[in-house]
Order: sequence, then C-alpha cells, then structure tokens
Amino acid sequence: MTKRLRPAMLLATVFLIAAVGSPSPATAAELAIPPIRYQQRTLPNGLQVISAEDHSSPNVAVQMWFHVGSRDDPRGRSGFAHLFEHLMFKSTRHMHAEQMDRLTEDVGGANNASTGDDVTNYFEIVPANYLRTLLWAEAERLSNLNVDEKNFSSERAVVEEEYRQSVLANPYGKFFNAIDPKSYAVYPYKRPTIGSIADLEAASLQDVIAFHHTYYRPDNATLIVTGDFDPRQLDAWVDQYFGWIPKPATPVPQVTAQEPRRRKNRRYTVTSETAPLPAVAMTWLIPPAADSADRIPLQVAAALLAQGDSSRFYQSLVYRHQVARQVGAEADTRVGPGLFTAYAILASGHPPAAAEKLLDEEIIWLATQPIPAAELDKVKTQLLTRELKQRQTAQGIAFALGQAALLDGGVDHVNTDLAALQQVTEKDVHRVLQKYVTGAKQVTIDYLPQAKAEPASATGATP
Amino acid sequence: MSRSGTCRRTAPRLAVFTAALVFAGHVLAGVDDFPATPPAAGPAPTLQLPTPWVQTLANGLQVISVTRAGLPLVTAQLVVRSGGEMDPPRLAGLAELTAELLDKGAAGKTAPQIAAAAEALGGSLDAAADWDQSTVGITVTTPKLAPALALLAEVVRQPDFSEAELKRAKAQAVDDLRLALSRPTALAALAASRAVFGGGAYGHSRRGTPASLARIDRLDVRRLHQALYRPDNAILILTGDITPAQAQQLAQASFGDWRKPATPLPPRPAGATAGVLPPILLIDQHGAGQAGVVAAHAAPPRGDQDYIVGTVANAVLGGSYSARLNEEIRIKRGLSYGAGSQLRAFAGGGIWLAAAQTKNPSAAQVLDLMLGQFKRLASTPVPAAELAARKATLVGTYGRRLETTAGLAAEVAALAVHGIGLDELGKYGAQVQAVTLRQIENYARRHLARHASVVVVGDAGAFAAAIGKEHPKAVLLESTALDLDSPSLQAAAPGK
Repeated sequence: MTKRLRPAMLLATVFLIAAVGSPSPATAAELAIPPIRYQQRTLPNGLQVISAEDHSSPNVAVQMWFHVGSRDDPRGRSGFAHLFEHLMFKSTRHMHAEQMDRLTEDVGGANNASTGDDVTNYFEIVPANYLRTLLWAEAERLSNLNVDEKNFSSERAVVEEEYRQSVLANPYGKFFNAIDPKSYAVYPYKRPTIGSIADLEAASLQDVIAFHHTYYRPDNATLIVTGDFDPRQLDAWVDQYFGWIPKPATPVPQVTAQEPRRRKNRRYTVTSETAPLPAVAMTWLIPPAADSADRIPLQVAAALLAQGDSSRFYQSLVYRHQVARQVGAEADTRVGPGLFTAYAILASGHPPAAAEKLLDEEIIWLATQPIPAAELDKVKTQLLTRELKQRQTAQGIAFALGQAALLDGGVDHVNTDLAALQQVTEKDVHRVLQKYVTGAKQVTIDYLPQAKAEPASATGATP
Repeated sequence: MSRSGTCRRTAPRLAVFTAALVFAGHVLAGVDDFPATPPAAGPAPTLQLPTPWVQTLANGLQVISVTRAGLPLVTAQLVVRSGGEMDPPRLAGLAELTAELLDKGAAGKTAPQIAAAAEALGGSLDAAADWDQSTVGITVTTPKLAPALALLAEVVRQPDFSEAELKRAKAQAVDDLRLALSRPTALAALAASRAVFGGGAYGHSRRGTPASLARIDRLDVRRLHQALYRPDNAILILTGDITPAQAQQLAQASFGDWRKPATPLPPRPAGATAGVLPPILLIDQHGAGQAGVVAAHAAPPRGDQDYIVGTVANAVLGGSYSARLNEEIRIKRGLSYGAGSQLRAFAGGGIWLAAAQTKNPSAAQVLDLMLGQFKRLASTPVPAAELAARKATLVGTYGRRLETTAGLAAEVAALAVHGIGLDELGKYGAQVQAVTLRQIENYARRHLARHASVVVVGDAGAFAAAIGKEHPKAVLLESTALDLDSPSLQAAAPGK
C-alpha cells in the first residue's frame, strides 16, 4: 500500500512518479507529440484553476496542489507538512473522518496525496458523475478543516509507522533519507520530508490549526481537473464551491534562506544494521527548476548517465566492472536550489570507493568528451516515450500540469519543455555539467553495513 | 443549480449564466450558502471496454490484439504459459534466470547492443518469470513498433545464454535476493508460501536461493528454454494504437517461421504438497526496523468457479485502503502505514496472503487483529452497504488498469495464460456485482475458517514473548540459519 505516499522517498527508484523529465520528439519528423490543451484562470480570491478535457475514459481527476511543502515545516517540527497532509483526510465541519474515502473508493474511484519539499498535492480519480461532489469536498477541507485530538494522535502514529517502514525497515531508507540533510548547509530542504519521531511527537493539534490557517488558502492553491467533464459546467461548480472562500489579508510566508555556494568537498558516513550491501551517493547544487535553460540539459545529462541498461553508469559499473548492483543519476530540481545526484549500491565484495571512482570517471567523460548523436537521440526518444506513457490517463495528465505549473516555471512548460528538450545539444550538456558538477564542490555519502549485535534467541527471548 | 447538475453535456449557455449569477452573489451569500452535505452525483457514465481480437498462427502461437487508440503507443508482450512452477527440484530460480538472460545476448547481438537497440526505440525489454507465465515486453511509440517486435522475436527465439552472462546474472541474482530478504515482509511472505504449498511447485523461492543459484549451469538454462519457449506454449499480445490487421501482419513477420517442436510439452508439477511448517513461525531478523506480520491460507486455483467470489471476499478483507484490515490496523489504531491482503490464484493452487508491517513491539497485537478479521469474514455476514462499496472499488480499479497499454496487456495476459475467454474483460463488472453475501460466507467458511499459517519476521526480542504467550506452539528461527530450499526452512537435520 502506498497510500499517502511521500514522493521524496521514491528517490530510491531512479525517477520520480511525476516525471521530472520533459521529453520531446527526438525524431519529430516521424512522430509529433500532441500538446496538452489546457485552460487556465484565476478566481478573485487567488485560486488558480487549470483544466484539460480528455474523454477517452469516463473518469475525472481532481487535484489540489498547495504551494507548501516540507521546506515550510515549522521550527522544531520536521515532518509537519507531511503529517498535516495525512490530517486532511480526517474530519471537517461537514465531513466525518475518512469521508473522502467514502466519496471516492466507495463509488469506484481512488484518492491519495503526497508531500514534497515544495508542494503538497491531494488527488482523486472518480467516475465523471462525481466531479461536483469532489469539488465540494476539496473546497470543504480547504475551508473547514476540523481535526480532533483522537484522530490527530492515531494518524500521527500512522506517520511514525510510515517513518519506520520507509526509513528504518527499508535497507536503503536511511541512505536516501540522508541525502538532503547532508547536502544542504542552510536551506530548509536539509530537513527530511518524513521528519523524525521526536519532532512528530512534539507536534500538537494547535500546530495543525495554525498551519492550515497559514498555508491552506485559495491564493496558495492550484486546482487541476482533467478527464471527462464539461468545461462550462466545471467553471460554474468551481465558482460556486470555491468562489466564496475569502483570501486572507496577510501574505503567505515565504522561505527566504539562501543556500551558500559550497566552498569545499564534504564527506559523510551513514551506517545501517540491515543493509546487505554498501552504497555511495554524490550530490552537487543546481539551479531552481524554473531555470529551464539549465534544468533540461541537466535532465538529459542524468538520462545519459543512468536511464536504462544502455546508460553509461550501468554499462560501466554494473556491466563491465561489475562493482555495482544498482546505479542512478537524477537532476532533482526544486523551487529552490536543487541537487544533481549520482549513486550506486555496490555488488558483494566491493567497497564504495570502487563505485565512486567509476561514477566520477563517467561524469568527467560525459562533461568533456564528444557525445555521439545517436546516444543523444536515444535519451530524447526515451524521455518522449515516458512522457507519452504518463499522458495515457487523466491522472497522469493532471500530474504533468501540476508539475509544470508549480515547479517547472509555469503551466506552459508542460508543452514548451518538449520543444526545448529537442534542442538540447552536446554543448548544452557539457556546459551544465562543467558549471554545476565537475567545476563545483560535491558532498559524498558512504553508506556502510554495520555488524549486527547478538540475535534475540541468544538472549533468552525464545517463547 | 440542480437543473444544470443533471445536464452534464448540454445547456452550456445555462451553465454560464448560472455561474455568473453565483459568482456575482458570492460576497453576499458567502459561507452560509456552502452546502452542508456533498452534492449528489449525476447519472453514471458508461465504461467502453475494448474488444480483444484473437487469432492463432499455423505454428500454434496465439496472437491477441486490443485497439486503444488516442496516443501513438503500443505495448508488445510475448507471454510463455509457464513460469517459476517449472523450476526443477534443487534449481529454484531457473525460470526467472532464463527470462532475465533472454536479452543478454541473442541473434549475434551482445547484451549492451540489445539494451542500446531497445532504448533507442524509446522502451526497454522487460523480462521476468512469474508463476504460470514468463514474459518479455516493451512499450514504444507506433513508428518504433516493427523494429521493437523484431528485437523481441530475436531475444525470445535465439538467445545465446553465454557462460559469461550466466555468471553475471547469477551474481546479480544472489545480491538481489539478499536485498529482497532483508525486508521483513518479503521474507515472511516467502515463508508463508512454504507453509501453504509445502514442497509443491508454488512453495519455493521463485527468485532462487543462494544454494540453488550456485547449482544452475548453462545446460539447465538451455534445457528450460528449449522445453518451454515454443510457439504452441506462447501468446503474443499487442495493445494500443494498432489494428487487428497490423497485429496479424507484424506477428506473422516476427514469429510466423518460429517452429513448433514435435515433442509434447512437459507436464506441470503438483502445485502444493502438505506443508510441514509450524502454524506460527517467528523469524528473528536482528536489528529489523519493523516486524512483518503475514497470515496465509490455501486458496482454490484460478480455474475454480468461485474465483470471483474469492476476489470480492478479498476486496472486503484487505483489497484496498478502506478494506477491513487497513481499517482495523491503520485507520482505527495507527499500528501500521498499511495493512492489506491479496488472493493469488494459479493454475495448480492458490494462496491468500494478509500482510502488515508494524513497530516490533506491536507485532502481537497486529497478528491478533489480522486473525480476527479472517474469522469475522467466516462467521458474520458482510453488511450490504460495505459489500456494495468494496465491489465498486474493485470494478473501478479494474477499469482504470485497462486505461494504459501496459495495464491492458497485463490483464489480457492474466486471462490468456489460464485459458480463460477474453470476453471476461467485458463481463468483470457484472460478475463482481452478481456475488452475494451468502456466497462470500460460504467461501470464507470453506477456505478461511481453519487456522491460518502465520509468519512474523522482525526483531524477535521485542515480540517473541508476547506472541508465545498467546500461541504457545510458536516456533522461533534465526533468519541467518534458514534453508530456503527446504519445505521446513531448516537444514537436513530437522528441529534445529
């Protein structure tokens, strides 16, 4: 079950759910990718509304994206934005706890939500005739949240189990969870989205009320509706259910921290009692996602390094040298400073240094040597195909729109990034890698299995 | 507003007018106008299900295509009607290893060349063995389909199975296995399968064991490939932006001259034999961050007439977020991030698996709740409203799985490998709706009322005593001392 999943934890896989890539037809003569035809408007109270019709199945996706994420966690409350996300499924003035499930799952739909560094999104897919019901429900929990102490405590326990499952019981959970805290010096991304048990325990119902009041307001939200609906009908319902919600007079607090340029390389060691194999990760600071002139070449670079079995990391570390079992690279761009990451999980009998050396070599080679045209064409085709696959469902289209609107610099990027990617050249890849990676300072994390203590049966715990 | 609410597609003029009216009034009306109850749904839309087209080539290869136009994408999947259940004794993991080796050198191309070719087409060849099937598939844009299918045919029909690639694949498989089994629930589920299927074909580790992987040689792989990868034991599935005529032409071009051997297909071994594990097994995985709690029951095979009844019963017990296991363990008590169950039905047997991960000290309580829910299903009728809701979830989820070319191919494959008519795709909703309370009760009494096979894996120091108190017959084993090749999970001398 991955309900109310936190996407940041999915770093363990090579790519995020909401595709970070912005593919384009490498072979446009053969195949034109149809643009997403979306509509956009803003209500007087500041709510942004984006919609796209698609009648290929009788479902409609409703998503609420809020411009708040774990970077906005209150002081001493790491993990709070995510805990709060869980509480949005509890009671409101007119809905009992879990009524959102009654309005979605029980009628053949589904719902979920996720919290990232910069955004929190709530998403439902329902048979098209439930659109109006869901718009009401989203407006209701935006304006009338009313969580009680009992629900707060039990849901906090769930989030603590989520922490244990994703960080403690997952052999590489501690590894991926260490990347942000070790990579940022001051920017609040340094606090992991999942938080810590101690900070979660310190959270109170009062914090919940204050957080909702501060960030859950129409001028800090984007409503996305895609799928089988009538646009005029949608406009009328949105006006009816969201239009009355007042826009607070106070501005939404913004993160003002500035991440300093790194002045030296840093190295950290993290240990695990359960990981069977060591791992190593390296990170570099990169510009915000809205800087698409750099973001897109960095995405191409990451794909050249690690997308698929023909990628450079895989061919070198996994196939030829056989020092690693799994490799990855990602241009993890965000609203604030992002990270370019490269990692490897080692093969039995090989130390992290063996992988680190080869990762370094491949990065330097890519940053300085000619890139065959066919290889560049390959990653563009891969990214295009991945994007098309995502666009098969209303939910996938809505995620693409949200990603573009809230993270990648504007909703128009959902289409323009495809064209931009097509234009990426060897020179672009060299430029961004030399500027942000090979010419900059890196953080390296070694992840080492640690000898286990005495097993339980030896201490007399036998039943 | 109720007027326009019922005319979803008509009267746009009216809708605009209404909207303007509401909007102009919102300052005055404000919060008091916001309805206190959710607005009712409009009339239900109808789901258009695609119709599969089926044909058999002269060599026995079944070709199935389903048109789902819209985006220029096609999923191509070659499915062999045999998988891990055909692993010979002592060679656990052979079918999986064979599938994985298909694209590691074939028809004069090396492994890196094949990967580069597939990825240049925008996809990747994904090969794996499941129970009852082995598949190789790729999803590409339509202009890339013909070369993708040619590549697919090469790896299926002319794999090298070179010594060097086998060695590489075995080393990777051993590490992957270690990684997988370091997760408490994965190890618990493997042990629970042993409890249910004993020494039968579905009881062993489909990904092999360190010992079995070490024993596998090139000849074993060749033999399995020769015996099972043949046109009269295979299905080619093409879903997406493709017509039946195109599918037939492409299938003929890539697989038309694939010769069917004269020898008969090897028989399928027995799926299950009597299990020898204790009913409550605890496995100590020292330092584990959580305990994996699993309870299992034997289930009838896929061909059983009550399969759909079982599916609906599982939807009530643990098939979704709102199902009972998650309701009791997560929502009400905050004991886990997620609890659920699955019904897996194979050609020669089946299994019910309920699972949850929880902090080590809560394992006894979670186990108690889990067993309680199995009992409740067998002893108390499911309330009608709950049943209707879970049926809706089941039908909705099924419909959405068919929205992608890959999901559609997987559902078609699941029917086809078991020889079930493809018209079931369209009948699924009606079949689910037809299941009665009485049928679920009978099913649960027949299959879920006996003692479950329980396995708990985790830091046993935190739960062994509590579970032992409730279940005095519980047996504790060390994760480091397990023999995964043995139905008893213990090396030759039984009883540790």
